[in-house]
Amino acid sequence: MDTEARKKALHYFFDKLVGPLGFKFTPDVELKDFLLEQEVKLEAKHGVPFCPCQPIRNDRARDMKIVCPCIPYHREYFDALKRCWCGLFVHKDVTDPDSLPQLPPKEVGLE
Amino acid sequence: MSNNFIRAISVGEIAPGGMKAVELDGHEIVICNCGGTFYAIQRRCGHMNAPLEMGTLDGTYVTCGMHCAQFDVITGQALSGPVPADMGNEALPPRVAAMLQNVGMQMQHVRTESICTYETKVEGGWVHVAP
Amino acid sequence: MKKVSMYTLSTCPWCFKTKKYFADRNIPFNYIDYDLADGATQAKILKELDAAGATGFPFVRIGDEVISGYQPQRFASALKS
Repeated sequence: MDTEARKKALHYFFDKLVGPLGFKFTPDVELKDFLLEQEVKLEAKHGVPFCPCQPIRNDRARDMKIVCPCIPYHREYFDALKRCWCGLFVHKDVTDPDSLPQLPPKEVGLE
Repeated sequence: MSNNFIRAISVGEIAPGGMKAVELDGHEIVICNCGGTFYAIQRRCGHMNAPLEMGTLDGTYVTCGMHCAQFDVITGQALSGPVPADMGNEALPPRVAAMLQNVGMQMQHVRTESICTYETKVEGGWVHVAP
Repeated sequence: MKKVSMYTLSTCPWCFKTKKYFADRNIPFNYIDYDLADGATQAKILKELDAAGATGFPFVRIGDEVISGYQPQRFASALKS
């Protein structure tokens, strides 16, 4: 299947989903393109577009929580980071995504 | 541009975002209203032949209602294959489990092919399709 | 020199950056790409991530210190201390 066409479709679907959650695609175009491409490959392998930076556990209940966009399952955490773990999405007001560190939950005051 | 257009449906017959299955000259076709622009695709999903008008249309993407394969209605391109189903954790009756295992095993070898698209034109308040 | 090891994913750009961080400074490190590992290794890795409260990759060990995420400043201070 056509990777570019699939990336375009995922972009279309994800854009509509993350907006109401207060997020947007990262302004880092290269990172966005790389991550979407990884997700297309993961989707081709597993049937769903998993996050390219979190573990697939082969435990459906837990794996559903890393299907992109996984923001709803990590709302408080990602709001504290102003980004999702892999950085595909950032808060709407973010213009400098490189300034957002990648921290585990306990380093932003969460468990 | 084709010259064997067949008058199919009136422009008001499907609301934007909707789909309708028609049969024209022996071809099963689904007409899609994408924000006022009409596209026509083959009715049968390129995965396992399910009727696409029973799926969902979002923008110019159709998602099959059976296993969630997705297609671009403009190009007919298959964009993604089936999504694995959740059978839950309860034990199934043995014969059901055996049947599902057999079907599941064979589904691993089913490919999701791109689908045919058909030319459309709107004339005199009617959507015409060249099957 | 402190021992550096990490768990990473072959699909993750932050993991590439982490490996590059140490490679650029000629600091030797071991790594396991979780997604390319066998079931038993994956289970072991998940146990360590869960125990440390980490939810994603990269997962880096520098000496006794555990760092979750691409955190170059933490890498630098862990290597120094």
